[in-house]
Amino acid sequence: MVNFNEKPNAEPLPRQSGASIILDGRYLPPPEDKDGKLWVRTSALVQGSPQDLYALWRKTELAPLWQEEIEEVVLTGETTSRWTMRSDDTVITWDSEILADEPGERIAWRSIGGDSDNAGEVIFEKAPGGRGTYVIVLQEFRMSKLTSAWETLSGRNPKQAVIENLRHFKALAEAGEIPRSQEAPHGKRGLIARFKRSLYGENVTTPPGTKVA
Amino acid sequence: MKAICWMGKYKVETQTVPDPSIINPRDAIIRITRTAICGSDLHLYDGFIPTMESGDIMGHEFMGIVEDVGSGVGNLRRGDRVVVPFTIACGNCFFCRKKIWSACDNSNPNAHLMEAAYGYSGSGLFGYSHMMGGYAGGQAQYARVPFADVGPLKIESDLSDEKVLFLSDILPTGYMAAENAQIQPGDTVAVWGCGPVGQFTIASAFMLGAGRVIAIDRYEERLALARALGAITVNYADEDVSVLTAIKDLTGGTGPDSCIDAVGLEGHSAELQGIYDTIKTAFLMETDRPVVLRQAIQAVRKGGTVSIPGVYGGLLDKVPFGAAFGKGITMKMGQTNMHTYMKPLLERIEKGQIDPTYIISHRISLEEAPEMYKVWRDKQENVTKIVIDPWLDRAA
Repeated sequence: MVNFNEKPNAEPLPRQSGASIILDGRYLPPPEDKDGKLWVRTSALVQGSPQDLYALWRKTELAPLWQEEIEEVVLTGETTSRWTMRSDDTVITWDSEILADEPGERIAWRSIGGDSDNAGEVIFEKAPGGRGTYVIVLQEFRMSKLTSAWETLSGRNPKQAVIENLRHFKALAEAGEIPRSQEAPHGKRGLIARFKRSLYGENVTTPPGTKVA
Repeated sequence: MKAICWMGKYKVETQTVPDPSIINPRDAIIRITRTAICGSDLHLYDGFIPTMESGDIMGHEFMGIVEDVGSGVGNLRRGDRVVVPFTIACGNCFFCRKKIWSACDNSNPNAHLMEAAYGYSGSGLFGYSHMMGGYAGGQAQYARVPFADVGPLKIESDLSDEKVLFLSDILPTGYMAAENAQIQPGDTVAVWGCGPVGQFTIASAFMLGAGRVIAIDRYEERLALARALGAITVNYADEDVSVLTAIKDLTGGTGPDSCIDAVGLEGHSAELQGIYDTIKTAFLMETDRPVVLRQAIQAVRKGGTVSIPGVYGGLLDKVPFGAAFGKGITMKMGQTNMHTYMKPLLERIEKGQIDPTYIISHRISLEEAPEMYKVWRDKQENVTKIVIDPWLDRAA
């Protein structure tokens, strides 16, 4: 019998969901990559209420403002949308469907045909101590490890893209814009500098955040 | 515009580059009237900081006149005179709200690079590698300043540029170093490094109540400035001088209450450890030369505080952590939380309580800067601080 009950600031644990990081009080590690599926789980502390952050995420048509290389999202129904993604000269499109939609709490989706096979969930949990909201994203891609490695070399691995997109979402929600430096003036770049830019992911254009400067 | 570009290790050039423009709503464009070369720019010059790309514009200490603002900047207008803090902060994230401005979550577009190296990313900085944001620096005629509604400090009095320029970095950095040293009235404080940050650290230690300050360096002109501030000086390059013995001798064998490392990753020592670090860093088996940090930990009194404004970059060898634990010391460090200190320090300058211009030894043009980087690195010509007028037309 444990009898240490003095915990003036302890808070209840969040409820369970697919993207949850805590299961019955235990830390739950992210799913591992196997059987042709890649998984990525990432989280951010965002200054904002779960309701407001949910609302920003739920405006699917605004995704091109904060998701990398997403050129356009067209709503095709109450819960469906058509996504267009451009990396350099390659354009891919797919349809997506929302599977679960709980205002202020969670959104789950999956692709339903097209050039990308992915599914994901985002949950919005109140952070302890009144510190804002933990936004947690779990996403899976059906993609071989070889393709994934190629994506890492040639541009942005989709796993890293999910991490970067959550970072952009947080900046947009907190600062009202996404920090950018790719347009910074500079002197003559050498060959090595161009290689470094590619290696550092600086060839992937930072999404605009806001439409007007 | 003209700008100073990093073109590789030991190589900087003055080049003509495109002018910056407003990108985001909270941006401002500043026409730079004065800028300076910082001691930490030497870490870039010497190739110690990774993720520099050739062509990068250097410089993070600058001030000027607002030329243009984005739609989200309500507190500045064209013509305002401002000093720009070298750390960039959004003002709204968890860290900015806690006033840990240099840890801002939203100002580094390349945060993933710093996460890979350090676990978490700090704020973006001007002109200080792509890991720290990839922003163009201020050793130029113009600069784009993000989150201009939060950072730049408006100068509304007619103080000269030179009197307020150092609010952009080294004066707040010296002040925070002294504050981090947790000085109690009458304390003895030892400061390693009597360059610009060391100078302002010594002055700030006295402002915060130090009874005695011991200043350590190897350049006589810098030690002379430290003595002018009231410090006792130790020249570690003098024959028969051991820093640790000197500090014991000067504190009755007790050690200083606080030790401040205003040197950082390129420390020098005439002793065996200096040779050890030089060899290990040459063979890439160590990233930094933590000579001063080791001495500071060994010298500080039991239960004392070590404050570190000097920049460190990577993995450090032979840091006497057993001594740190055994004596129960406190260590405080980090990039300066600029936004907290700029205004109160400006008020002190306005009231005439402090005048930071005494450290300036050279006033130059952008064309002269590449040559002066070498002078600065080698501490020739009694150099203590180099200020650049980017509009001065004078060939090297």
